[in-house]
Amino acid sequence: MSAVSDTKAEPMIEARGIHKYFGGSHVLRGIDATIARGEVAALMGSSGSGKSTFLRCLNRIEEPSQGDVLIEGTVITDLRTDVNRVRADIGMVFQEYNLFPHMTVLENVALGLIYVRRRPRSEAQETAADALKRVGLADHVTKHPQQLSGGQQQRVAIARSLAMRPKAILFDEPTSALDPEMVNEVLEVMRTLAEEGMTMVVVSHEIGFLRKAADQLIMLDAGQVVERGPTARVLDEPEHERTREFLRAIR
Amino acid sequence: MTDIRTTIDDWRNRGAHQPWFRRYEWLAIGLVGWIAAAVLFLPPFGKPTPLGAAGVILWYLTGFVLAGVMLTDREKPILLKRATSLSVIVLFFWLFYRYSGTRWDRVQEQFFNFSRMDGVWELYAQGLLVTLQLSIVAAVLSIIFGLTFGILRTLGNPVIDLFLGLHVDIFRALPLIVSMVLIFYALPFLGIRLPAFWAAVLALVLMNSAYQTEIFRAGIESIPRGQIDAARALGLGPGATMRFVILPQAFKIVIPPLTNNLVSLVKDTAVAYVITVPELLTTAQQAVTWKRTPTPLVLSMFVYLATLIPLIHLTRRLERRLDAWNVR
Repeated sequence: MSAVSDTKAEPMIEARGIHKYFGGSHVLRGIDATIARGEVAALMGSSGSGKSTFLRCLNRIEEPSQGDVLIEGTVITDLRTDVNRVRADIGMVFQEYNLFPHMTVLENVALGLIYVRRRPRSEAQETAADALKRVGLADHVTKHPQQLSGGQQQRVAIARSLAMRPKAILFDEPTSALDPEMVNEVLEVMRTLAEEGMTMVVVSHEIGFLRKAADQLIMLDAGQVVERGPTARVLDEPEHERTREFLRAIR
Repeated sequence: MTDIRTTIDDWRNRGAHQPWFRRYEWLAIGLVGWIAAAVLFLPPFGKPTPLGAAGVILWYLTGFVLAGVMLTDREKPILLKRATSLSVIVLFFWLFYRYSGTRWDRVQEQFFNFSRMDGVWELYAQGLLVTLQLSIVAAVLSIIFGLTFGILRTLGNPVIDLFLGLHVDIFRALPLIVSMVLIFYALPFLGIRLPAFWAAVLALVLMNSAYQTEIFRAGIESIPRGQIDAARALGLGPGATMRFVILPQAFKIVIPPLTNNLVSLVKDTAVAYVITVPELLTTAQQAVTWKRTPTPLVLSMFVYLATLIPLIHLTRRLERRLDAWNVR
């Protein structure tokens, strides 16, 4: 077997026994997860279940108290790994968009390319413009984020991740802060990404979207995985009582 | 005829629900009594006796109460209110003019005596130059230290925090004039001899960098956590995050308090007078002894005003411009 196919066989993201303490409270209680290349995994759970914290541990925006995260087989929770290098390869989209308000849309998207990827400014701006075109915002490059609607801002945030040509993108409740009529434009972009084979970990309760786009569904409760499996199976025949309860509550 | 009657009735009815002292009859009686008191009891022009002064103050306060009754009533006509407030203010200055004991005939001759100003203008120019040098050097150094200390304080290192916290506490509490005098007159006993100019700079920087440390720290800490998360998630290191994401936003927030601080810094350069720095106030005082007229001192006031009022307005314009950026 060649080395190339070896890396192919490796999962894109792997979490092993992640624990997280905030002061005295034990928020994550040993979570394992494996996300293959090109797979879309969804994290579900009520608020306080630890789904966002777990997602944030995957690129060490939150430092896990215990356990390892592996990206393509490399342990990134090792103190010797350059975490900035790892983060550059993993995009992240936040609930509150977190665009930089003092920059134009184009500058927002080009920032990482210029100062992390060290691309020349003109080339970075071209790449950024391409990324913005992919999310349907080619006409808004010179605007400031505050001049855009919530849905447009979230698409800029997606473009900001895309421009870095990431190996995977983490989505932390990307549509929860949006007005209902803007949810679809964001989900549409995410679905296209999923179809193009982007590895994605999504914290979301948009059942319709998950059914179409997600391969794997992980249900968290009180910092533990209560159920996991193919999306359709978990949604239609939940095995665990907690999952059934949760699905009933959000429908 | 009936028209006038109805008008009068209207007026009476309109105030019917109000307490008695708000009604025009009683206000008129109060006003007449107050004017009568003025005619009968106000002391003559010139410095009054203590008892007379107390009477004047009491009389003015009574007028103030009357005006207050008028101004707090929503139903009194606006014109009447304007006239009332204007009279209260004019009256204040009139009373000052009448009873302060000021020799008004001397104002022109003493305060604005331009016939003895030969050579004083050049002195002013030198003084103003030193004031500006002092301001600029102290401002630049304060910003450099304030910004550095402000950033260091956000790191949450307990040792650094202890020292910077002490610096902030001490130099916000210590009067500028005290630290300046200490540096210039006390430190030489320990063998530290600073030229007057640099002693003034040191005192100004110690105090203003303490204020600015807090200004910058508050500015940096006001940037939402999500901005840092987003920058770090892109792979920017802590330094780059500070430089490209936090500081540009913090600067915008910091500009109003920072410019306020810089304006007071320019004002405070006048304190250097006590340690013989030849700045504007010092040169004005020298001119006073030289020419035997207080005119230079009076003029120095106008120089300060002419420098600082535009600066204050500039900062206000800047604030409004920055607000306009924030579409949100």
